[in-house]
Amino acid sequence: MTRRTPLVSAAAMAGLGIVLLAHVGAEPRLLASSPSSAGGGSGNASSRGGSSSSGSSVSGTASGALEQYGYGELAVKLTVQKGRIVSATVTGLRTADTYSQQIAAQVIPMLRKEVLAAQSAKISGISGATYTCSAYATSVQSALDKLHLK
Amino acid sequence: MSAAVLARHEPVMGTVVSLRIDHDDGDTGGLEAAVEEAVAELHRLDRIFSTWKPESPLSRWRRGELPLEELPPEVPEVLARCAEAKMTTAGYFDPWAMAGGVDPTGLVKGWAIERAASLLPRDEVLGTLVNGGGDIAASGSEEGRHPWRVGIRHPWRPEALACVVELAGGRAIATSGRYERGEHLIDPHAAATGQPRGALVVSASVVGPSLAMADAYATALAVAGEDERPLGGVLAAGYEVYRIFEQGREEASDGFPFLAEGTTPAGARHR
Repeated sequence: MTRRTPLVSAAAMAGLGIVLLAHVGAEPRLLASSPSSAGGGSGNASSRGGSSSSGSSVSGTASGALEQYGYGELAVKLTVQKGRIVSATVTGLRTADTYSQQIAAQVIPMLRKEVLAAQSAKISGISGATYTCSAYATSVQSALDKLHLK
Repeated sequence: MSAAVLARHEPVMGTVVSLRIDHDDGDTGGLEAAVEEAVAELHRLDRIFSTWKPESPLSRWRRGELPLEELPPEVPEVLARCAEAKMTTAGYFDPWAMAGGVDPTGLVKGWAIERAASLLPRDEVLGTLVNGGGDIAASGSEEGRHPWRVGIRHPWRPEALACVVELAGGRAIATSGRYERGEHLIDPHAAATGQPRGALVVSASVVGPSLAMADAYATALAVAGEDERPLGGVLAAGYEVYRIFEQGREEASDGFPFLAEGTTPAGARHR
């Protein structure tokens, strides 16, 4: 067995927001609207109509579907300006018990921050994700779908 | 010819399963049909194996209302895999030690996802990825460009990743840890002796050919602490292991497929 250096590089930390989005298959499209990825040459061939640094012109607000996550349910409301997510808020959060409530209270602000901060990293999934993450990601995606940011 | 992505997100088995097919542009009718078939299979298996649904065949068997012979053939198949995992892990994966009767849940999710993934086309597409709450089965590559890259969740920081791995050659990954609701993490040995075994494992990831087995092995390694007997069995079975212990110590088997140092998850993001 090999010992590894301490946990978590900055690069890795940048990843989760995308993980959430990539997890729901949205990241190639989001990448297209992220200035930081422009000229990266990553060949996001799946971003149909992939705009580069000019970004998408999509603006608006949409609420995602109410998603079950095993121990409760939540919905995410997104506001998009010129193709970038500028706000993500949890609009409907019901949890089955106090413990789940505590977990959700800790996790959701972090998920929100990451969705806003990291729209450009590139991995395709996350192992060990929580139920909450999946529900959040799915609701984000459905809100994006409504905004046609895809 | 450019790559395109077909994605589906299905609430099933108490989580959301994401199915993704990367393919060359063109007619996707056949791919969509395959995804439908895979999703239908997940629901069918959930109906058989759910321990939350009192009417499921597994629940009825657990209550003694159905004999084993009358169960769908998938149940004995899963129990055989469970027996194999119990042997490999020196008894740390033990569905027969669960309170409330035999509970193969620790293997079923990975097994069901593996099975659904096997229904997706392999040869005529660039790659497939099926992710059920962090249990991930991969084939091919992402957009034909590089092996699938998967982050492992950091055990204490939900916003961060502990590391990134590459899944090549149809391999799968499962992660089990104490950061989630951990009632399913029951140490059958500690229950018997009352003795914890050294430092706790807070996160165990297993990479290998079968997601069903990886799922069970990750569960076992997460409860085994520093008892290295299950680790030896899992490595001998051809699986790679990455564990994070309390206080942050990390250990990985030599072949664990970390994304090479210096390769960021963003890949081409950095020119």
